[in-house]
Amino acid sequence: MSTLIARAEAHSPAVGFGERLAENQRRVFQIAYSVLGNSADAEDVAQEAFLRAYQKFDSLREAEKFRAWVNRIVFRLALNRKRGYRRRLERDTAWQSMESPAMVDGAKEAEQQVMLDRLRKEIERLPAKLRSVLLLSLVEEMDAADVGVVLGIPAGTVRSRVHTARKLLLEVMQ
Amino acid sequence: MKNACERWKDQLRETALTGARTPQFAEHLQTCANCSAELRDLEARRARLDTLLPLVAQGAEPPADFRARVLAAAEAAGKRRRVRRWQAWTLAGAAATAAIVLVVGAVLHRGTTGKIQPEGLAAAQKLAEWRAPSDSLLATPGQEILRTTPKLGESYLNVPMKAVEEE
Ligand SMILES: [Zn+2]
Repeated sequence: MSTLIARAEAHSPAVGFGERLAENQRRVFQIAYSVLGNSADAEDVAQEAFLRAYQKFDSLREAEKFRAWVNRIVFRLALNRKRGYRRRLERDTAWQSMESPAMVDGAKEAEQQVMLDRLRKEIERLPAKLRSVLLLSLVEEMDAADVGVVLGIPAGTVRSRVHTARKLLLEVMQ
Repeated sequence: MKNACERWKDQLRETALTGARTPQFAEHLQTCANCSAELRDLEARRARLDTLLPLVAQGAEPPADFRARVLAAAEAAGKRRRVRRWQAWTLAGAAATAAIVLVVGAVLHRGTTGKIQPEGLAAAQKLAEWRAPSDSLLATPGQEILRTTPKLGESYLNVPMKAVEEE
């Protein structure tokens, strides 16, 4: 009887899902934040990624599968949202001046904030291939192999692109 | 001297990023104030980059109630899906009921036509048998003539008017 209940509980998506959510939320949020640069959007996109994972949780019960899937989905969702913003910005700049990005919560000092804004702009100017690899590599708990899984490239390629990106940034960060 | 340092340009950046230096470059650094100064500058930039870069992704944390909020949203979405499924079933049920009503109605209707009133039936039969008056006019003598071959001694013009009169 108890095994029957346990089996029923294991089949209920809410049980295993809460656990997976706890394991992945920090990384998933950071992936979104690295692309979008503000907490509100990052939270939105991270939540959307988890809701999608919940909908197909039956095929994502395994921890590794869940992790890889949600990493990829949140990155794609974040890129989509950013693209939408950029399109709107391009459309609106005809009559509206560009707004500076939202204050970054982690940067305590104003000077550091200014530097961080500049760095973000320089990262935006990197070739897309280098930018994606760099942003994902900056997320805690994402090693070269994890980044490679999201982008569909080997870990070695990830490492060499990160190096190239850093070299280019070294040039522009006076 | 500046031109001679050009060849160390990339090595300077590699060293600033990774700390690795080839023996030849180490030797050059000991004799070249220019490259030593540039290396110090690049190393300072790399240190700034190392401080700032992690903040690009790690500058914010998910809010404390993030997990609770996602779980609530997931549950609400699940409920909505269940309701949608229920609505779909209800709709399917309604469609099935409508189909049954139609079939039963048709059968019952056929049942009532079986018990139609005798005078109505007679009228319908009369209507079915009715032929326009012109039909008899169309039965010309010629048709009758052509239908039968006259016997020996009979004339084609010997038209029997009996059929027409019967109408
Ligand atoms: Zn030199």
